[in-house]
Amino acid sequence: MALQCRLSGATFQSLKLATIPISSSSSRFIFRTLPKTLNLALFSRHSAPKAPPFSVLIRNLSAPAVAAAPAAETSDIKVVKPQWNAAIDFKWIRDNKEAVAVNIKNRNSNANLELVLQLYDKMLNLQKEVERLRGERNNVANKMKGKLEPSERQKLIEEGKNLKEALTTLEEDLVKLRDELQIEAQCIPNLTHPDVPIGWEDSSKLRNMVGSPRKFDFPIKDHLQIGKELDLFDFDAAAEVSGSKFYYLKNEAVMLEMALVNWTLTEVMKRGFTPLTTPEIVRSSVVEKCGFQPRGENTQVYSIEDSDQCLIGTAEIPVGGIHMDSIVAESALPLKYVAFSHCFRTEAGAAGTATRGLYRVHQFSKVEMFILCRQEESDMYHEKLIKIEEDLFSSLGLHFKILDMATGDLGSPAYRKFDVEAWMPGLERYGEISSASNCTDYQSRRLGIRYRPSESPSTTSKKGKTNLAATKFVHTLNATACAIPRMLVCLLENFQQEDGSVIIPHPLRPFMGGVEAIYPKSR
Amino acid sequence: MKGKLEPSERQKLIEEGKNLKEALTTLEEDLVKLRDELQIEAQCIPNLTHPDVPIGWEDSSKLRNMVGSPRKFDFPIKDHLQIGKELDLFDFDAAAEVSGSKFYYLKNEAVMLEMALVNWTLTEVMKRGFTPLTTPEIVRSSVVEKCGFQPRGENTQVYSIEDSDQCLIGTAEIPVGGIHMDSIVAESALPLKYVAFSHCFRTEAGAAGTATRGLYRVHQFSKVEMFILCRQEESDMYHEKLIKIEEDLFSSLGLHFKILDMATGDLGSPAYRKFDVEAWMPGLERYGEISSASNCTDYQSRRLGIRYRPSESPSTTSKKGKTNLAATKFVHTLNATACAIPRMLVCLLENFQQEDGSVIIPHPLRPFMGGVEAIYPKSR
Repeated sequence: MALQCRLSGATFQSLKLATIPISSSSSRFIFRTLPKTLNLALFSRHSAPKAPPFSVLIRNLSAPAVAAAPAAETSDIKVVKPQWNAAIDFKWIRDNKEAVAVNIKNRNSNANLELVLQLYDKMLNLQKEVERLRGERNNVANKMKGKLEPSERQKLIEEGKNLKEALTTLEEDLVKLRDELQIEAQCIPNLTHPDVPIGWEDSSKLRNMVGSPRKFDFPIKDHLQIGKELDLFDFDAAAEVSGSKFYYLKNEAVMLEMALVNWTLTEVMKRGFTPLTTPEIVRSSVVEKCGFQPRGENTQVYSIEDSDQCLIGTAEIPVGGIHMDSIVAESALPLKYVAFSHCFRTEAGAAGTATRGLYRVHQFSKVEMFILCRQEESDMYHEKLIKIEEDLFSSLGLHFKILDMATGDLGSPAYRKFDVEAWMPGLERYGEISSASNCTDYQSRRLGIRYRPSESPSTTSKKGKTNLAATKFVHTLNATACAIPRMLVCLLENFQQEDGSVIIPHPLRPFMGGVEAIYPKSR
Repeated sequence: MKGKLEPSERQKLIEEGKNLKEALTTLEEDLVKLRDELQIEAQCIPNLTHPDVPIGWEDSSKLRNMVGSPRKFDFPIKDHLQIGKELDLFDFDAAAEVSGSKFYYLKNEAVMLEMALVNWTLTEVMKRGFTPLTTPEIVRSSVVEKCGFQPRGENTQVYSIEDSDQCLIGTAEIPVGGIHMDSIVAESALPLKYVAFSHCFRTEAGAAGTATRGLYRVHQFSKVEMFILCRQEESDMYHEKLIKIEEDLFSSLGLHFKILDMATGDLGSPAYRKFDVEAWMPGLERYGEISSASNCTDYQSRRLGIRYRPSESPSTTSKKGKTNLAATKFVHTLNATACAIPRMLVCLLENFQQEDGSVIIPHPLRPFMGGVEAIYPKSR
């Protein structure tokens, strides 16, 4: 059995399996044990190399044995049982392995397809063997019902006992095999939309550009300096109270945040989305099911001490969880939510200049759109979501570009991802203010969200009994409607005036008591 | 030993010096340990108490004032959970799966109502000269302790972050108290008046029983908090001002409530005096605390290290023309809830429910909700 994982770039070699023919009586699969527990480094969803979410150690498997030899101790190492199982279609993976392999390569994922296929094969074989043994045990049981000589009966009892022991062992092995298969297969990233460019960030394709950089005829300031002069934030006090990358908003910045949230919610509600506020503390299993990694070195996720709970990094997580483990009526789809929450991110591993001021912070407010829909409609809703974002950001007068992100930058759950990068003149760069992902059935297979297609007349059998149509997995999509800190960067830097004031975009003014601009305060 | 000495005399002195040095080192270590222990024990001593505060437990709390009276209903009324269910305003069941008990999603008009409450409250308090703030919700545990809370221990109300010295705040009082930590403020800057909006997180460990239904006791909620730093002589006056603001806010919303002067057994270490506001919640058939206003005098400021320098009086200028700086004093701090959203929702839904199942929105909130006048049942 081989386990391939990536720890900060290092890769362990996969160990080859020494397969022993099934017919030998005390055969078993033998593996070289690794000297210590593999602590798999888990990265945030958006960085490319990813390791399986559980500590997995190599272990012994006893062979499907017909006869006497009892299973050996599965000595020192055990497979960690997955807390939950994604509903993965192994058969489909096997039948489409070339496409899956290409996809894994394009996304630079470290999923081990070979291992998954091997484990799947073994599991099928083991299942057959288990069934065979069960059949034999039933035969023996049947034979014992008739009239028998004592010696014959005794032999049958022996045989029955041996079969039962062998069966128990095999069934345990089958469980372990299934667990390991599950763990490995869950590493396989989502498929990719055919139009997505292959490669890394540089390969991302420009879909659309709106507006152009404003020309300033006076020396401009970045948002930190503007904020200082207008007394809009305090990073220094926050560094003492909480640590770096924390901040207080003050004065008009508070009203601006509220206006942005209020206006965004109102605009998105007009488009048929149900407004929500969500828990910001969730069970870690829900975080994992959405495709994030709560544990591990460079995790983006804060965990709560002495509990299985975490802080959310995005409302996508608690909203995805609403319909967990349920079957939705097809007529209820699409379900469209717009959720306001605070978000918390460790930003571990993020360093350097791209962290100034409000650009990269540990805590922020965000309005998030989330859609659950029928499979055939996710591409269309993806286009709708990016259109809503385009409308919102244009209304505010921002200049931005929309990118079709390349395969290396997608992250496991996304089938396709559009990023919006807005021009931030003070920072002299385009900065990501929004992301819209179509996760197709990646999240729903993990969260267990299905829908039952409406029945067609042809499924009613002659007896008048209606057959329920088989359920399908919903497709899920998520898109940032407004992430406050970077929106503040954009507004402050783009709409600064020579006299030090900042103009408030028209759509926001009614949500700020009519305030038209932020003026320097006289001292 | 500086002078000229016989070798034997010098040797004796060296011996003596060495003994003294060892004895001194030991004593100095003991002194440090003693100081530490003294500090720990002394920090347990609660704040002094205002002379008018009733002595005893909760039953001894004194009624200061009552505003309004319980509304008379001429139809059978529902509690907020049932109203919320029928109007599709919250979801506790999904939240129990995703997060655990005492978590919830707000939906539809409840979201707009929360935003209107926060917006209106901030606006009203800003009119009274308070500086609006939003705050970090993750803070160092030392700041939590300095404000008088206990992050560690069995029944702590405080969530801690794994592998760090950080905690989640249970109230914006903590990060706001921390703003002027370890600093000297000019007297002319006082009073400093802040109104802070934040989410708050509480474990509610040890809270059980009937007083935990629905929105009444939850792990996470939005709150608008007032915080004042002022001169020592003025804290009693600002305490009265804070409770007056609360009275005005809750009256404007049409609530019926009583204001209690909390008894000594119910004060909590930091508070010199505490006024609680309990509003009538007809569906729960009880008065429930919706707000608390505390004068912490110098309890928090001695821990947070917040001082002010009184303005100099002419008499302190010495003959040489050198001005003596007046000795610093500790500020007094006060905090008061302007609006705690979940219990406010309980009050609004239960008090303003109508026979047809709708809920009337109080007039002051309507402009902050796009003019919506009521929440109506949705046709199915």
